[in-house]
Amino acid sequence: MAVETQTLSSCARAATAEEARYRIDRPIAPSRAGRVVALDPGAADVLRRTAQHGWANARFYVCEAGAGEGEDVVLRDVDGGPATLADELASASVVVMVATDDTGAACAHGLGKACWERGIQTAGLVLGDGTHAGTTASAAVAALRPHARVLLPSADEADVVDLLSALRV
Amino acid sequence: MLRKDINELLTRTGPGTAMGELFRQYWMPACLAEELPEDGCPPIRLKLLSERLVAFRDSYGNYGLIDEFCAHRGASLWFGRNEEGGLRCPYHGWKYDTTGQCVEVPSEADNSSFAENVKLTSYPLVKIGDVLWTYMGDPASQPPLPEFEFALTPAEHHYTSKRWQQSNWLQAFEGGIDSSHVTFLHSGGLKSDPLFKGAKGNQYNLNDTKPFFEVADSEGGLFVGARRNAEEGSYYWRITPWVMPSFTMVPPRGDHPIHGHFWIPIDDENCWAYSFDYHPMRPLTEAERQAMIDGHGVHSKNIPGTYRPEANMDNDYLMNREKQRTGEWYSGVEGIAIQDSSLQESMGPIVDRTKERLVPADSGIIKARQKLYRAATALRDKGATPPGVDPAHHHVRSAAVVLPQKEAFLDAARDDVRVRPGFPISSV
Repeated sequence: MAVETQTLSSCARAATAEEARYRIDRPIAPSRAGRVVALDPGAADVLRRTAQHGWANARFYVCEAGAGEGEDVVLRDVDGGPATLADELASASVVVMVATDDTGAACAHGLGKACWERGIQTAGLVLGDGTHAGTTASAAVAALRPHARVLLPSADEADVVDLLSALRV
Repeated sequence: MLRKDINELLTRTGPGTAMGELFRQYWMPACLAEELPEDGCPPIRLKLLSERLVAFRDSYGNYGLIDEFCAHRGASLWFGRNEEGGLRCPYHGWKYDTTGQCVEVPSEADNSSFAENVKLTSYPLVKIGDVLWTYMGDPASQPPLPEFEFALTPAEHHYTSKRWQQSNWLQAFEGGIDSSHVTFLHSGGLKSDPLFKGAKGNQYNLNDTKPFFEVADSEGGLFVGARRNAEEGSYYWRITPWVMPSFTMVPPRGDHPIHGHFWIPIDDENCWAYSFDYHPMRPLTEAERQAMIDGHGVHSKNIPGTYRPEANMDNDYLMNREKQRTGEWYSGVEGIAIQDSSLQESMGPIVDRTKERLVPADSGIIKARQKLYRAATALRDKGATPPGVDPAHHHVRSAAVVLPQKEAFLDAARDDVRVRPGFPISSV
């Protein structure tokens, strides 16, 4: 019988494909209560389509700026049903804001600020090109920038699905 | 998380795979020029994209990258004799030139044309900078040579190293666009590494451990901007360019040389991490070059005569729990490169991305995977040329800049993230 003269290190043993088979393999629960908010009518169209995918905990809304200042924004379900910002944020762990043009800049500001104050993680996707000043959604990008932990200023519709999938919402 | 089928597609790079075909659209590093130091030197074995090859430099100085195995009986040409104008298999004397063409079969008659019909698979091998580059795709689609700035500076301005990483290429590459880990994993290096320390920007990094990110498309891939608070009314931006498929640059620090990486698949469970430093405006100092040779900065200290790091999985990366406790080495592992590789290798040969729990801060990685997937499937299904093939896409730099809070980073730093010959890197 051969005698093993060299003992592999802990790392070398653990990093093999064979050992990878012993990683705990239990179903992973959705980790995020995601609220996905369209900041303008174009984004609302995108979210109506996105909502048709099978999501675990994601809810989809359209945001409208209220008449007042700051956090004064109104949420509606993408299908038109009523929603209350405070209630939705109370149960949210991540808010993903989606814009296609500048009309939702005030919403972006109000919503982003509300999330920031509540310590809710945020991401902003601007569909089209908001990368540079003067482009279609540059004001929305500017409004999102202070409040969105992550900003994708030149996203497309697939980015919305890919981000939500990656976040397991 | 990533679907299992997409993870499979992105991590498999052998012949005939979608991702393998994508890699085969690009010029990529095959080896360092130092591995073939002189005309007629010994050949070296290489495995790239799961193909076993030998590289050699013939007696006339021509470089060749050919199938490792002799067409006759399948013996390895690593044993070959590098003779005048070709590599001769020592088994029965068959000889090949740098194009893989068999030029001599000793057992045949002197006037035989048999050898003309024997040709090994071969790929071009071209020296640019410290690197020998190859293109493993269809010769009819061979793009112009790469134009990455680091390789085009004068020899005294740059330094390139490589190390073997025992993991799939993708998990290694993903570390290169993951700016948020620097504040933790590499925090010790920001204070002590001779190629990092002393920069004003380091303090912004250390003072603000929760950066904001912007991920913007570029012609060749992405720009990932990591934003931290700076002085009142301004942000400190670290901008990382990614050029597809696997070229990244690390944002600079002070007047230190600027650095970056290529991650090249050896096979599906191993890759080469190429690391370079350069300064576009001046030669590297002796101290800088020596620090790089000694494994500081993004480089590694390798076992002499090999490209395997001295600290590797077989010795638990020389883990030092006392340094971990004091924070001198945040993870207990010494050096930026091995801090990365130790954790990336610990994920297993090919990490199961269906089990991940990503966060919004991982958006750069999410977007990069999406772009790779799109490019690979567009190539497979429509023959579309992927981003990053055009040498114009290579003309990027990383940057570290302080900008007014209201500025869009790619507007304000437009000139900072492109190569401008004669202009210094933009660094804080």
